Amino acid sequence: MSGTAAKTSGKPPDVQSRIVRAALHSLLLASVALFFLNLNVLGTASVSKRFSQDLVYAWFGDEAWLYPRGAAAHPGGGSIPPRVVVVMIDERALALRGARWPAPVSFHAQFLAELEVLRPRGILLDFLLIDPAPQADTCDLLSVASRLRHDGIPLYLAVTKADDLAPMDGAGCRDAAGAALRASEVFTPVSVARQVDGSDFVGRRYPFEQRADDAAPGMGVASAAVRMYCDSQRAPAACVARLTADQTPDAGFELAWSPEGDPFNQRWSHTSCVENLSPLQAILNEPALPRETPCPPVATLFAGALLSPEEDPALGTNNEDLFKLADRAFLLVGGNFRGSGDLITTPLHTLLPGVYYHAVALENLLAFDGQPKVRKEFRTPKLAFYGYDLLVLWLLAAIFQWRQRWVQRLRPGEQSPFQLSDAARGWLAPLIARWPTPAWIVATAVLLLLLATFKRLQLLAVALTIAALITIELRVAPSTEIRNRSRGLLLYVIAMAASLAVIVVAIWVGYRWLRLPPGDWLGYFSFVAFGFFVAHTAILEFGRRVDELNVARRGSGGAQ
Amino acid sequence: MKRWLLAVLLGAATLCTARADEPVQATARDDACLSLNNRILGPRSGDRPLPLLAGDPARGLHPACAVPWSTLSPANKPLAVVGCFRGSLLQVENDSACGRGTGPLWVNSRWVMTSAELVQQPQKRVAMCQQLETNAWAGTRDFNLDCQPRKKELSADSAPADSAAKTPAADSAPPANPGTTPPK
Repeated sequence: MSGTAAKTSGKPPDVQSRIVRAALHSLLLASVALFFLNLNVLGTASVSKRFSQDLVYAWFGDEAWLYPRGAAAHPGGGSIPPRVVVVMIDERALALRGARWPAPVSFHAQFLAELEVLRPRGILLDFLLIDPAPQADTCDLLSVASRLRHDGIPLYLAVTKADDLAPMDGAGCRDAAGAALRASEVFTPVSVARQVDGSDFVGRRYPFEQRADDAAPGMGVASAAVRMYCDSQRAPAACVARLTADQTPDAGFELAWSPEGDPFNQRWSHTSCVENLSPLQAILNEPALPRETPCPPVATLFAGALLSPEEDPALGTNNEDLFKLADRAFLLVGGNFRGSGDLITTPLHTLLPGVYYHAVALENLLAFDGQPKVRKEFRTPKLAFYGYDLLVLWLLAAIFQWRQRWVQRLRPGEQSPFQLSDAARGWLAPLIARWPTPAWIVATAVLLLLLATFKRLQLLAVALTIAALITIELRVAPSTEIRNRSRGLLLYVIAMAASLAVIVVAIWVGYRWLRLPPGDWLGYFSFVAFGFFVAHTAILEFGRRVDELNVARRGSGGAQ
Repeated sequence: MKRWLLAVLLGAATLCTARADEPVQATARDDACLSLNNRILGPRSGDRPLPLLAGDPARGLHPACAVPWSTLSPANKPLAVVGCFRGSLLQVENDSACGRGTGPLWVNSRWVMTSAELVQQPQKRVAMCQQLETNAWAGTRDFNLDCQPRKKELSADSAPADSAAKTPAADSAPPANPGTTPPK
């Protein structure tokens, strides 16, 4: 490839040409790694990326550096984002007003009037009010909505399409002054459509808007969280335009999920809202990845508690706790009814009522200042974002090659410092050979069968095996061998530390500045920790061979 | 095994006794509706307007308006509860706070303090009365309380043993007028 001039002049290649050659070989290795990282035969790459994302949020979703939500992420005060509160209507709440499922429009009108006392920042009604309703009930709803708007409390109403509100205008409602009440003037229609990943149907993505395939970006109905967030900004229209620009109809942003439940929910949750699983338990094969908790991550106020103090008498003598929770908060009103089917599968909190999907999306927008994480496939220019991955892998490949070269110098012909030495093999083989072949093969098979069946034995077996092999090496290997091996291990640790440093920087740049979700993080670590490159270094040998042929060809003046 | 069997039996019993389309009963404790001489003593929402409903629970309720307590009770007097629904909606005699033609209005007990609630929550009594400098015990006359001293120089232990006897009378007493010395 390079260094041709040096070869032809009979001198060894200079430092610069060696660096260029090593860099090109690293690039070759990195591009192979990138290909395998994104090889999506039968959807395998998608599954690994989702697992990576769930794993990261399961263990670090409460860390402010990863998901800076709520006041805890702003210890110095500053601009603490407003709180998001789910208000849950259920059968019990309907019964308190003599209603039953499906929640009638008259109930919504009454309930919105009660929410007005809380002085929220905005209210989302996650109910599709598309069934015909009595004119008086519709007019009551429009009157309350008008009053809310007059008080500076926007009311967002779920719709399936832009003209869903038209039948309400047909009711001919008027306010106390005789002016016409129009639904489009008192409600802000929002989309509550969902996106789920194929095969596992988990809601990790949130759509920017709902629009037809042939419509231009920004021309659809903005999703609930997007509209609510942007309306709280100084330039709402510009905010919506920025978020929806250049997006395909199926595009969405990634949802960070916190594994912990909101502390407020402990008053009604039957399970603990604080996760206290130790990493040791996870290592010991507890079913902890990803962790699941039925305590929702968003503060939840049951409508029954609002409608009757007997349902929750502990909200303060003068409702101090209630006002503290809801004052200037975003209230998202949803339903939790048996058989309604309005449920969303979440990565960390099992099945939750659908309104949590919008609440978490709004929390994401608030936590990331309107710059949510978006997958590479929804970014433009797409090639640049995959190029970033290639750059990261290139650096990792360079470190790998540097380590390999040093290992080769210490122990020519060996690739890994973890291989058994010839002396250890020479000691082990005769020991095993005392047994008849069928006996030791069957014994090994039974042992591995037990380990596969009883997972708690696996860690113990791995630890015992490592300890036994180290003991054998120390007893039978010559001191020179042990010294070289120790150096090889030291190099391995140094290379690992350097690789981890590269990964940390790559994660920081990718997550913080390029807004890429943690879907590739596990891939980076697996390349480094589990020697992915070793499996693909054959391409390097092939590259070197081609390089030598090219040099020889040029040295002979281009003759074949 | 026994737990498993018990769970199955409980589940079967639940299925046999509950119908899917039946609304859940509001609450077993309809204390506010069962209390005699229940009165609304004041707001529990600070200066926030109280949402009022009009209509009849049997035919349908609808939001009427949201007004401050001073509109509902211009003289800051306790309001008699004349109706009750599911233990949480209280009907008052006032039928003009939201304009004419609304009929008696309803308010959510979440936003108001009732005398029945105070009686059922004795731990809150200390906040509802005070000892005056005249060494007489005073409190809102509609409260039927055992007043306890809250002044710094007086501890709860030093409360007079016959404080209950000095508690203002409840039902027939005139409206609240804090600061006046009740009859002994």
